[in-house]
Amino acid sequence: MTSTKHIEMRGVRKTYPFFTLDDLSLDLEPGQIMGFVGANGAGKSTTIRLAMGFIAPDAGEIRVLGRAIPEAQAAAKRDTGFVSSEMRLLPHTTIGWHMQFIASIYPEWDAPYAETLVKRFNLRPAQGTSGLSQGEQIKALLLLALARRPRLLILDEPTNGLDPVARHEVMSEFMDVLRDDNRSILFSSHNTVDVERISDRITFIDRGRLVDSSDKEDFLERWRRIHVQLPANTALPELPGIVSRVIDGQFVTLTTNTFSEALLALLGNTVRNVQRMSLEEIFVANVIRHREVRGQ
Amino acid sequence: MNIVMRKLIAKEFHVNRWIVAGATVGGVLSVLICALGKIGFSVGSLMWMTTIIANGVMLAIYGVMNERKERSMLFVLSLPLSIADYVRAKMLALALCFFIPWLAATVAAVALVLAMPDIPNGLVPYAVLLSVYMLANYLVLLCWTLHVNSEAWISAAIVLTNMCVSIYMFVVGAQPGLQDHIWGPVPVWNQTAWTILAVELCVIALAFTLPFVLAARRRDFV
Repeated sequence: MTSTKHIEMRGVRKTYPFFTLDDLSLDLEPGQIMGFVGANGAGKSTTIRLAMGFIAPDAGEIRVLGRAIPEAQAAAKRDTGFVSSEMRLLPHTTIGWHMQFIASIYPEWDAPYAETLVKRFNLRPAQGTSGLSQGEQIKALLLLALARRPRLLILDEPTNGLDPVARHEVMSEFMDVLRDDNRSILFSSHNTVDVERISDRITFIDRGRLVDSSDKEDFLERWRRIHVQLPANTALPELPGIVSRVIDGQFVTLTTNTFSEALLALLGNTVRNVQRMSLEEIFVANVIRHREVRGQ
Repeated sequence: MNIVMRKLIAKEFHVNRWIVAGATVGGVLSVLICALGKIGFSVGSLMWMTTIIANGVMLAIYGVMNERKERSMLFVLSLPLSIADYVRAKMLALALCFFIPWLAATVAAVALVLAMPDIPNGLVPYAVLLSVYMLANYLVLLCWTLHVNSEAWISAAIVLTNMCVSIYMFVVGAQPGLQDHIWGPVPVWNQTAWTILAVELCVIALAFTLPFVLAARRRDFV
């Protein structure tokens, strides 16, 4: 694997006694914001820990910013910011101490931007870390990651456990960060609303397997829910790309992942309504279909 | 040693500053209490041992176990360093955090024995051996704590290493080569004392080196 991709995973496998992340291949291009969506226990955090070099794969290859992981993780992490909802600041210290600590390690530390973030997140540098709420911890960790201007941001469920106001503040900051075209972001979450808001590419993962990966717009364009009313004694014709059908007498609800005008033409005047699907609906339909295909 | 490792060592001193300062003051204070007559000697020597042991236990708990448990380890591991760098920095830093109060307590204890006419100078080898043993004991605990993830195994190691201090005092203190000279007027460094010291130093070298070989090569660290 030799590429300019910010994250590249090929055939990655990681086995635990009760969970296996299997044959995972993933690409994150420079400037891309990938929403990594999966239910709890789907393998999001395992994938991210593999990318950060905290754990080593049993098989497959991982490269982050062109560096082999976990072997060259120190070099890769120099330009990678990582924030996780499970992460905590060091005890018996203050936010200000952390800012100095990070500034002393990263020459790229942007002090004026850090000050802006302190104000924007309403943080107090003199405040001890032990008294911080979950929201303040996450905001402080984001500040420390963002103010060193990394080329790659890896965010593991950063909005988990935040109240709506804190979540809004954090998401707004992301929107600002996204204006930098050279920075790429891997953003894991089970909250599809957050992911839909900021991502330009979406990857679904379920039970340790990659389910689907595509551009956000592509997902939103391809997936539709079509409500059909069939005349009496008429069977539904054979249709391509139908992932589920729910029949209630004459009324049929079809879900497709390859929506086109041609499909509508096949259904003719039986079509009563065509609905766009939200990312959450697409995610759920995708996962259910994936489980059916795999017989799970 | 790269800059991140140096910063991590400094960070360890900062985070554990109260433990290090408290243990240093406690160790010296307990030696001063030893100078206050027979009861003072009993109370002070007990305090002296407790201070050194407690320092080690607290550093293992707060420096390694809690960092893992409270997930601030994820923050540290996100810095530009390898797992091996993390283990090296942790081992060096926590060894130093223990070493400073330990050295102060040991030097103070030896100085007290030599300075006080009521305390026989023959105690010096025993005090030094006991002190070096407690250093070895701590490094074994630290080595174990860095190697295992289980809180239960770490707690078991803490209990076991604590018990071993009493056993050591009983067994080593009963060695004829030492027992015969403890209450004597001059320190006697005979073959028994040197052998025990050599064994202790070997354990120290092994416990200090093992994490660099084993824990630093662990494939999964969280």
